Amino acid sequence: MFIVDCDCHNYWSSATVLEPYLSGVWKDMFIEGEKTGPVGAFPHGHRPWFHPQDFSRKDVRPKVEADNYLIMKDKHLDKYDIGVAILTGDEPIEASTLANPYYASALVSAYNDYQINEWLPKDSRFMGSIVIAPQDPRLAAAEIRRLGAHPRMAQVLASQGSVRPYGDPFYHPIFEACAEVGLPFAIHLGGHGGINWNAVAPAPTTFFWETHAILHMSAMSHVASMIAHGVFEKWPDLYFVLIECGIAWVPSVLWRLDADYKALRKETPWLKMLPSEYSRRNIRFSTQPLEQPSNVNHLWAILEAMDGENTLLFASDYPHWDYDDVNTLHIPPEWRGKVLGQNALDVYKRIPRPQAAAAA
Amino acid sequence: MAEKTYICRADEIQVGTPFIAKVRSLSIGVFRIGDSFHALLNVCPHRGAPLCEGPQCGTTAPVEGPEFIYHRENEIVRCAWHGWEFDIKSGTALVNPSVRARTFAVTVEAGGIYVTA
Repeated sequence: MFIVDCDCHNYWSSATVLEPYLSGVWKDMFIEGEKTGPVGAFPHGHRPWFHPQDFSRKDVRPKVEADNYLIMKDKHLDKYDIGVAILTGDEPIEASTLANPYYASALVSAYNDYQINEWLPKDSRFMGSIVIAPQDPRLAAAEIRRLGAHPRMAQVLASQGSVRPYGDPFYHPIFEACAEVGLPFAIHLGGHGGINWNAVAPAPTTFFWETHAILHMSAMSHVASMIAHGVFEKWPDLYFVLIECGIAWVPSVLWRLDADYKALRKETPWLKMLPSEYSRRNIRFSTQPLEQPSNVNHLWAILEAMDGENTLLFASDYPHWDYDDVNTLHIPPEWRGKVLGQNALDVYKRIPRPQAAAAA
Repeated sequence: MAEKTYICRADEIQVGTPFIAKVRSLSIGVFRIGDSFHALLNVCPHRGAPLCEGPQCGTTAPVEGPEFIYHRENEIVRCAWHGWEFDIKSGTALVNPSVRARTFAVTVEAGGIYVTA
């Protein structure tokens, strides 16, 4: 079976690995400036809550920088025969929390170059993500165009935390650039903090598990906003991928969007289809973390309602604490071929087809 | 048929660093709590992760209000992946005692640790 892991985090032991990829004032600020985390941490506006046990699996303990790849290869890529792993970085998407958009853009550019030079060559199974700092969409679009032709860049990646819902016309330069270079726009859980202060509607939450369990609230906003603002009318071939944002909420939100749109379509006269039809055509959801009801049939009924066989993409979230492995993914067995790999081929067009065909 | 297998010397196991042994096809973690030894199958009943490679630790006692009593130090292992807490002595999950990690009898003979599995 051909397996595509849409969320494989490439770690570093210290953010100082970015130093060779920064220059001028940004390098100066990176080395000399204030950092919010421990020494060597990547600069970001800190979130109000914190993980009580660290984010990483406890059986993944790199001692030197090279271990980050070697352990991933041993405990994940080889162990589960992953065909393609799309690298999603880790700390870099937190650049979206910084108020200084110029510094944030310099940081993600440095990360993207580091990823291309130091991660992609390690393993032919790797595809990369162009990480952007969305708080200045013009700079983000420039970064997308700078690297958009790279054959091993699979997607454009931003954090789920943002200053506005992503459908807002403010962000449209990003989608224009994505469409131009032919890459999907993906958001990954994170970036809640700093200028993205409105992590969830009422106010910041207190505890990590409480927060993690309801982080899909902002994903709901993004889905509604992307559809309502007509992003998928302007760019009908654009895929919007939600990584680590939960699944079970999707049908209920789409049911509500369809019902309300039918009554109030005059607000958004540019739409030509029902919200659920745009979602089915243009939006994909990663599996990790799948909800875990005590009766799995309750989950499967929901997955059925969102056409999960065709709209779900496998993600492991390696090496984070809520990692899912291929073998224990709770989806209907007859969907496994599509969800574990084939659906990703529709979205990530740069995955080499011979590689996929040989393994399928 | 369960059989007794020599694992290692007792002084090779420190509190906080279980000895992960191979017994036939089984991966088993042997923990020290003070002067007693306990063995758990290195497979989490939740999702099959390497249970014994997580931290050996304590936990907070159940309370009625906002009070944080850290207790049972070193009697708990948190699964390496998803952090589920298990009582090392009984193998039961703290959040739901009907979920159990498999346990094995441990004996100490002449300074050697033996597991019956």
